[in-house]
Amino acid sequence: MFSLLGGIFLGWSLGANDAANVFGTAVSSKMLKFHTAAVLASVFVIIGALVSGQAGIETLKGLTVFNLEQAVISSVAAAFTVTIMTAFGLPVSTSQAVVGAIVGIGFLNNQINFTGLGKVVSCWVGTPIGAAIIAFFLYRWLGRLYNRADLNLFESDALLRLSLIVAGIYGAYTLGANNVANVTAVFVGAGLISVFSAALIGGVSIALGVMTYSRPVMETVGKKLVRLDPFSALIVVLSLSVSVHIFTLIGVPVSTSQGVIGAVLGIGIVKGANTISRRTLLNILIGWLLTPVLACLCALTIFFLLHLYYIPPNYA
Amino acid sequence: MTLNLILIFARIPRSKLRGMRALLRFNLPGVGMLSYIFKKQSHVERLIYDYLDTLQSTQKNFLNALEACLLNGVFCENFEYLIIQTHKFESRADDIREEVKSLMYEKALIPESRGDIMLLLDSIDIIPHLFEKVLYSIQTQKLTLPDFIIPDTKELIKISLECCDLMIREVIALFKKNERIRDLLTQIDSNESHCDHIERRIIIKIFDAAIDPFQKLQLKELIGLIGEISDQADRVSKRINIINIKRRV
Repeated sequence: MFSLLGGIFLGWSLGANDAANVFGTAVSSKMLKFHTAAVLASVFVIIGALVSGQAGIETLKGLTVFNLEQAVISSVAAAFTVTIMTAFGLPVSTSQAVVGAIVGIGFLNNQINFTGLGKVVSCWVGTPIGAAIIAFFLYRWLGRLYNRADLNLFESDALLRLSLIVAGIYGAYTLGANNVANVTAVFVGAGLISVFSAALIGGVSIALGVMTYSRPVMETVGKKLVRLDPFSALIVVLSLSVSVHIFTLIGVPVSTSQGVIGAVLGIGIVKGANTISRRTLLNILIGWLLTPVLACLCALTIFFLLHLYYIPPNYA
Repeated sequence: MTLNLILIFARIPRSKLRGMRALLRFNLPGVGMLSYIFKKQSHVERLIYDYLDTLQSTQKNFLNALEACLLNGVFCENFEYLIIQTHKFESRADDIREEVKSLMYEKALIPESRGDIMLLLDSIDIIPHLFEKVLYSIQTQKLTLPDFIIPDTKELIKISLECCDLMIREVIALFKKNERIRDLLTQIDSNESHCDHIERRIIIKIFDAAIDPFQKLQLKELIGLIGEISDQADRVSKRINIINIKRRV
């Protein structure tokens, strides 16, 4: 159990940070109380992890071969990378940190599944692009439907509030299903736990993060989304959830934060407005390059530090 | 599957969409759950209709006060009573407005709708204040209208209050979608221009007349206040139109 602590910490930080992407809008705009959102998010994260989390776990554990020590190292390296980058205010994706650390261990073992790695990397690039495309079409189709319904102020208010809550629940489900692999896949690869236990432990640790520490992040991230009009905010959450769901079916853990940025970009394209600054796009690029590299170096450094031995001079 | 669902959804005929609207309006049996979830919102809606009823009562008392006394050229005993009644309804409207505001601060409605409704109510609320202001001006300055401006003033009051009625219908149309907002906006706009013409005509007559210059200024101020009623109704009407346009995606 002690070996799982790195993974649980990673799950906790993932829950604390990423729940904001799905429920931030509803909570920061006071449509939903934080506690209600946290309970809904936690329950559906666990359900998502248990029902659809296996595919991602299989993909990540298939990237290389682990022993228990290496699993713990990769998990701690990923957690360390996420913490360091967050502390320096750099954009970070837990999925990329975990894969970077796994690849680091793969270098040590001289065994990396390049086909699997290629699939994972292409999905990273596909996350914001996919979310942008989905947001573009969802905004047009649902927008047309919304306009045709010709709702009055109270009706549209009720519809948007309810839809945001339902979209948030769906988002929590896909978050659990997609990101649980980041938390515990390495331990399945090391043979420490079964896929079901990994999904359960991962789901619960993400839920723990949501319940205990997601409030400030929800309020900060949510306010950025609320600057969009309520319909656009709904489309952002919905597109994020659909795109993350698609990557869950493919079996690749992706970044929900990058999905949000992609969806906002998609809405900007429909509206002909500049919703994303060049700096934000540059930040995604930095995140793509820096996070896996740093996690990989972290994993290697931790491994070498653990294997340093003091040899007395008379034995040298 | 999701894309299929969206495609199916996008082809829903208008008749089915009306069914969906009925569901959202909590009219269908078995959707009590929705009205429970949005009970604060339903309460806000009810209070807004109460507010509009109170506004109409204020308007009725205002008209009675003007007709009973000022336009008949005599100060009757009823005038004081009708001023008090107008003030009571105006205060009641204020109370309802405050209740709506505090309900919305308790997180009923999404922030954008909250802001729109608050600004709308604040904007409408200027009208009962204007009613009161007109009556208080007459009462405190002991004003009587000279005969040569009475027909025009009657017309100005009639059209201004018509503007208020249209404005109330426009507010209801925003919340119930029972009438076209753009049609009401056009009518209010044309009424408001008509009021401006009458107002100018009366002021010219006042300054052409051989009356005390001080009285001229008093009457000009009074006519300006009455004219402000249609101007404010027009401002509210334009705000409603913007709120409505904003809701289109």
